[in-house]
Amino acid sequence: MYDKILLTTMGEYMDEIIEHTLNLVQGDAEIICLYVVETSVPFLTPKKVKEMMIDELTTKGREILGDMAKGFDKPGITFRGLMVEGSPADEIVKLATEESVDVIVMGTGKSIVDKHLLGSVSEKVVHSAPCTILLVRTAS
Amino acid sequence: MFEVIILIVALIVSLIIVIKAADVFVDSIVEIGLALGISEIILGVTASAVGTSLPEFGSAMIAILTGSPDVGVGCAIGANVWNIAGILGISAIFAGLITTQRQEVRRDGLMAFLTTLTITAALFLIGEISFVVGVVLIIMYVIYLWILIRAQKSSKDREMECCEVDKKTDLNKKTILMAALGLVGLAIGCRAIVYCTVELSIMASIPEVLAGILLAFGTTAPEFFTVLTSAKKGLNSLAIGTVFGSNIFNILIGLGIPSLLVTIPVEPITIYFDAPVMVFMTLLLLFLIKRGMKLTRVEGIILVASYIIYIVTRLTIFS
Repeated sequence: MYDKILLTTMGEYMDEIIEHTLNLVQGDAEIICLYVVETSVPFLTPKKVKEMMIDELTTKGREILGDMAKGFDKPGITFRGLMVEGSPADEIVKLATEESVDVIVMGTGKSIVDKHLLGSVSEKVVHSAPCTILLVRTAS
Repeated sequence: MFEVIILIVALIVSLIIVIKAADVFVDSIVEIGLALGISEIILGVTASAVGTSLPEFGSAMIAILTGSPDVGVGCAIGANVWNIAGILGISAIFAGLITTQRQEVRRDGLMAFLTTLTITAALFLIGEISFVVGVVLIIMYVIYLWILIRAQKSSKDREMECCEVDKKTDLNKKTILMAALGLVGLAIGCRAIVYCTVELSIMASIPEVLAGILLAFGTTAPEFFTVLTSAKKGLNSLAIGTVFGSNIFNILIGLGIPSLLVTIPVEPITIYFDAPVMVFMTLLLLFLIKRGMKLTRVEGIILVASYIIYIVTRLTIFS
């Protein structure tokens, strides 16, 4: 039984992630949805550009959390949307530990090329998460 | 050999100084503008357009005014070719996909194409960048800025009909001092960049215009990090917009402003090879984007391959 679920998303494949999360719920459950605004930029990025990036990501995050709230508007589910700034993997693990969640649900399925070029948040979380993780396959 | 190493180190240090000084300068100017009551929209649009392009502008300006116009012209044109084929190509390869919107391609893409076409046509017809050409370029930029500000205003109006925020700040001495420091850093850094580039081109026996084209790798570092990071974070409009905005600024202002002060002579190789390549790269990007309003990894490889062909041809056949 999973009573407290931490769900993380960057806005892609939300329907699949919502569907798999709902499959985990039996009875009442608390779902915390986390959107991390990744603030790290390379040294020579102009400050104004960094501010612009954070603004845009924050706006995107608000929209995603709003959509997620609608997706989990079901009887017996308590939904909480959270947005934090930082490194996605670190923030996911930190929140999972602080909130003592039962399971983390996140998307996965990057191609091998994408994984090498962009990095994989899910892979980093797998190595340091304090609880069970459900990786939802989101790409063919 | 020791002298070459010293010059290369000095060039890298100067580039970092210029990029950081540009950052401080733009930041302080925005604060001063806000304190003087200039619209936040106007400041935002100009700051984002100018912010990443100041190193190219400063280097081109100083090079042209200190008797090395080929470095200046090479830097402006080289930066434009590299922005499209190199920076956007590499970013598309890393991000896998960069999407865009039809409206942005119509406005910024078309303007970038018109800009390259105007300067290339002027070079073919006149063979130099004269005062009159400079005036035309600057008028074009003012019109483009007006279009941008209008677009920004209408989107802001839609977003914030209910809650206008007054961001007017007090003007303090520290901000003015930082703006002055940023400007001094820019001037000194750009002068050092031009000096190192000219000296290195003499030592390597390569033409100054080619040295300018290679210098563009360094002066476009802010664009490189902006486009790559935003593409990886999925901020696609910022990625494509930065490239188009920078290319428009580099020609219309980067060559427009110095040509008001001095006629810029241009080498035949730049007129008949570099400038047409710049037009071709802009057209190639527009063609690739227009097919599905996106740049895929394969299209990124096409852009990077085009750049490699250009630079290898330039270094071997036309150097």
